[in-house]
Amino acid sequence: MSCHFEEDLTAYVDEELPAARRAQVEAHLGTCAGCRATEGLLRHAVARLAELPDFAPSADTRRAVLARLDALPVPWWERLKAWWRPAVLVPSAGLAAAVGLALVVGGPAREALPEELEDATEMELVANLELVEDYELVGLDDADDLEVVASLHELEVAQ
Amino acid sequence: MLKVAAGDRRAFAWLFDRYHASVARFAFRFVGDRERAEELTQDIFVKLYRNAKAYQPTARFKTFLFRVATNHCLNEVRRGEYRVAHTSMETPEGDEAGAVEMAGPDGDRPDQALAGRELERVVGEALRDLSARERAAFTMCRFEGMAYRDIAEVLEASESAVKSLIHRATLAVARRIEELQAGAVPARSRA
Repeated sequence: MSCHFEEDLTAYVDEELPAARRAQVEAHLGTCAGCRATEGLLRHAVARLAELPDFAPSADTRRAVLARLDALPVPWWERLKAWWRPAVLVPSAGLAAAVGLALVVGGPAREALPEELEDATEMELVANLELVEDYELVGLDDADDLEVVASLHELEVAQ
Repeated sequence: MLKVAAGDRRAFAWLFDRYHASVARFAFRFVGDRERAEELTQDIFVKLYRNAKAYQPTARFKTFLFRVATNHCLNEVRRGEYRVAHTSMETPEGDEAGAVEMAGPDGDRPDQALAGRELERVVGEALRDLSARERAAFTMCRFEGMAYRDIAEVLEASESAVKSLIHRATLAVARRIEELQAGAVPARSRA
């Protein structure tokens, strides 16, 4: 093929040419038997391609993809982010506040606090870390959850 | 997609259900092998999940997805991990197992089924002889109905370049089909 319109024939068949170029190609097809033959060949091929059977992937593909996602390692920032969720932060902050309040109200005067009690809030939090983790495990959607958390270890022992 | 980027598995499952057939079809036409196409489909969706944060909401999702798919398939071919065989498009004589996965209207009449398989074979052979980019552009155009503009975006090429890729590919396939109809392509002609 040496006709310089030939390169545009597939785009013409696909209706992908700008209007002006389309009109030029149309006019050319009226005068060029070679391009008319090629256009016919292309149209016929495009029609035959529509007859090809479709490819249907197996149903296992979905299961396999989801299993591969499950096997992906959790990035460290995602693990860190999990500790900043309200379900962890709220009980932790509440616990810390309660301990702090108890120390201020019921404890000796602040200036009399021995050095080892300066970090009492943190110590209390560390001592109750397991409880905080239980809150994280169960979640805190309603009052019943508090009861479940309180009894979690009894349930574990019972099992 | 933004939900997927935030780690929402249900959003991902929805995207998978909506688009996996397209990706599998593309991979199948690209590599010509059913099993490999399914593996590639898995790879592409895992890659999509891992790179969801790279998605820009300004881009059409299908364009983004096919860019991931095309790059993955092109890289696989470049790495030479497998050849683009198209052998499994062929169904051995008397073996109907290969036709089971191919849902199509040609299953009712044996002569139509045979014609469909022959057509599948010559198209597969023609695709094998194309360059990887011609094959990718042709597949997106003919089997996914994508516009030249979108294909250009996927391939990061100009529309003019895509027009040439699709023209060369379509003409090559058209000539194979013409030969088949003229009886010039003997059955099982592959070397």
